[in-house]
Amino acid sequence: MQMLRWGFRSLCRSRTVGSDAYSLKIFLPVASLGAPLSQIPAEVLSKVRNYREYHFQSSHGLHDIRYQIDQDKIPAAKEPVDPFALVSDELSIIANRLQSMVVSKVPKLASAAEYFFKVGAEGKKFRPTVLLLMASALSMPTPTSIAVEVASSFQKNMRTRQQRVAEITEMIHVASLLHDDVLDGADTRRGIGSLNFVMGNKLAVLAGDFLLSRACVALASLKNTEVVSLLATAVGHLVTGETMQMTTNAEQCHSMEYYLSKSYYKTASLISNSCKAIALLAGQTTEVALHAYSYGRHLGLAFQLIDDVLDFVGTTASLGKGSLSDIRHGIITAPILFAKEEFPELQAVIDKGFDNPANIEAALDYLGKSQGIERTRALAIEHANQAIAAINALPESDSEDVLIFRRALVDLSHMVITRSK
Amino acid sequence: MLRWGFRSLCRSRTGGSDAYSLKIFLPVASLAAPLSQIPAEVRNYREYHFQSSHGLHDIRYQIDQDKISAAKEPVDPFALVSDELSIITNRLQSMVVSEVPKLASAAEYFFKVGAEGKKFRPTVLLLMASALSMPTPNSIAVEVASSFQKNMRTRQQRVAEITEMIHVASLLHDDVLDGADTRRGIGSLNFVMGNKLAVLAGDFLLSRACVALASLKNTEVVSLLATAVGHLVTGETMQMTTNAEQCHSMEYYLSKSYYKTASLISNSCKAIALLAGQTTEVALHAYSYGRNLGLAFQLIDDVLDFVGTTASLGKGSLSDIRHGIITAPILFAKEEFPELQAVIDKGFDSPANVEAALDYLGKSQGIERTRALAIEHANQAIAAINALPESDSEDVLIFRRALVDLSHLVITRSK
Repeated sequence: MQMLRWGFRSLCRSRTVGSDAYSLKIFLPVASLGAPLSQIPAEVLSKVRNYREYHFQSSHGLHDIRYQIDQDKIPAAKEPVDPFALVSDELSIIANRLQSMVVSKVPKLASAAEYFFKVGAEGKKFRPTVLLLMASALSMPTPTSIAVEVASSFQKNMRTRQQRVAEITEMIHVASLLHDDVLDGADTRRGIGSLNFVMGNKLAVLAGDFLLSRACVALASLKNTEVVSLLATAVGHLVTGETMQMTTNAEQCHSMEYYLSKSYYKTASLISNSCKAIALLAGQTTEVALHAYSYGRHLGLAFQLIDDVLDFVGTTASLGKGSLSDIRHGIITAPILFAKEEFPELQAVIDKGFDNPANIEAALDYLGKSQGIERTRALAIEHANQAIAAINALPESDSEDVLIFRRALVDLSHMVITRSK
Repeated sequence: MLRWGFRSLCRSRTGGSDAYSLKIFLPVASLAAPLSQIPAEVRNYREYHFQSSHGLHDIRYQIDQDKISAAKEPVDPFALVSDELSIITNRLQSMVVSEVPKLASAAEYFFKVGAEGKKFRPTVLLLMASALSMPTPNSIAVEVASSFQKNMRTRQQRVAEITEMIHVASLLHDDVLDGADTRRGIGSLNFVMGNKLAVLAGDFLLSRACVALASLKNTEVVSLLATAVGHLVTGETMQMTTNAEQCHSMEYYLSKSYYKTASLISNSCKAIALLAGQTTEVALHAYSYGRNLGLAFQLIDDVLDFVGTTASLGKGSLSDIRHGIITAPILFAKEEFPELQAVIDKGFDSPANVEAALDYLGKSQGIERTRALAIEHANQAIAAINALPESDSEDVLIFRRALVDLSHLVITRSK
């Protein structure tokens, strides 16, 4: 059996003054070429798939997954703090504002509103969570020379502006969901079903426009043209990504590069650009802002890749028990693209299209024989590690709170990998 | 008896060129003069452009000709800026490129030759930019001054491009919302490429407009145009979600017209003024011009939808009423004939009901009062131009005259 490569132990940065940085790296066997799934010992496989159960185990041997936390370097925290819990109060405020805003202006939307905003809730309002954590992770102490009242009012103002970015990001995200769901086709002229079809489309377009326009106005109110530029660029990227997905030609379908590019546009760009905006509003330098951007980008890509995996494996570790909605919609994702590198004949299966369930089975069969799932997970972990590296690259801070929030961002990278839904 | 407009007074100036003054006169119809009793001259307004005639039923045009240097005949406002407009059109095409071919062809659909429309808004904005241009002080070196002016002009052109992008984005979405098949004489984008691509293309244009806005690095300009974007959506929402009570109200209707049509022009005019380095007071005059021009435009649009290119009622496309959109002429008619409300309540799916409404409209002063209101707004637009600070430059005066002529064209156009 082929040897599996292992991750290496990360080095901790040592600091001269103040609290030390922490360091956390996720280790996972990086599968090399051609170790068929069936040849990998069952206990390894189950460990790989059910990653999260191995959070704090220390075990030995080649087939173990090792978690390195330099515990002496993290002040206070004994158990990992739930990143979502850290910002949940602020999040409720944002969520309520969003919901009441759309429904009141587009009254007929009330019945559909639950769906639109529940989707966000199911995702635990992921984007605003990241942004609020990032805001706290980047907060800088005000010089002692400034009076306490002035400093506190300044910080409060800064925080409000950062919350505004979180709202704007969520508005853009929901608007894009609404517009992505607009349907095409000749159904507008048919009989009974057409009313819902037409009204559904119109409300979706109108509600999405409403959210986008509110985002524009809110952006303008920040009076920071660079932030406007970042978020506007993200909107353009969302559209580009969705169009790429809608209009892929045969050649592009094959390309991992095209796929990762589309994933950046569709998923990662909004998070990365809004993280960068948070950093700029925090008064940080361009260099720091780029680290924030990098965190968002890698987190977003990791998120999407795991999403792709979960669509196949679902909540159990068995292949084919996921919802399989991507492949049914003819969307070719990373696991299939990796599998195709090992089994070129899979291309012929893809070309037949996936309207036929038997064809889906055929594709799943190849996928199971290949390293497609494993390599996708490995790539996701690579991105998660790069996200962690970006956090580690942030400037030192003496504040315990700041370190707790940076730790939370690191934990979030981990959760993105280990989640099972 | 019909009341008449009064002769405008010319402003006299001490030094430099004199201001001009141009006012449109039209009988303001009082209550209850039936359409048939109004002379044909009134209904076919545009034929009386330069006639001087006498008597109560005449329309009089006052131009203080000695006050306009150079210009013997009216200059076509569109011709004055046509070269710059070509530059802007080309730039627009390059600003909406995308590496995704489908998106690129969708985004540039209405910027291609033949589909680019009259570019009314950029025309207004470029004329405004020239009308507001200020001389640089003599103390500044010629090269510096010229480079400064050129930079300012480029930024103002950018506003014109941004405004056109926002406008086209809103058209793309409106066509999806209306289920329209055609636009600007060709198939609508949603008809040709599908609803979803039309929606995405609109979003894409909006995002490009915002990036271009941000590049101006002027937060007030960003704010003005963002407000306009918000207003466009508000206006569309008002139109789509009107309840029964709001349908009746002229106030609601004018408010919606401001949001849907006038706000973009007014806010971008104001932006042009700010980029020209003018004071807030001057910027507000520019805003006022845009607002009144936009409202006049919309009101005449409403009239033309009923009367069309001939002066006969019911020969227009009637697309508003068929879509159940109640516009100013009907609202005015309803004030005279409350029973029209019952007709409106029945809805306009039935052509017989459309006929019934047209019948009331014909008996009423609805069309006339709408035209009169449009003229009022056109006059206010002209007043705003007259309120601009004096200028010694002949060019500036020519451009200000062009803006005045534009107000006139908005009223007298027949399509």
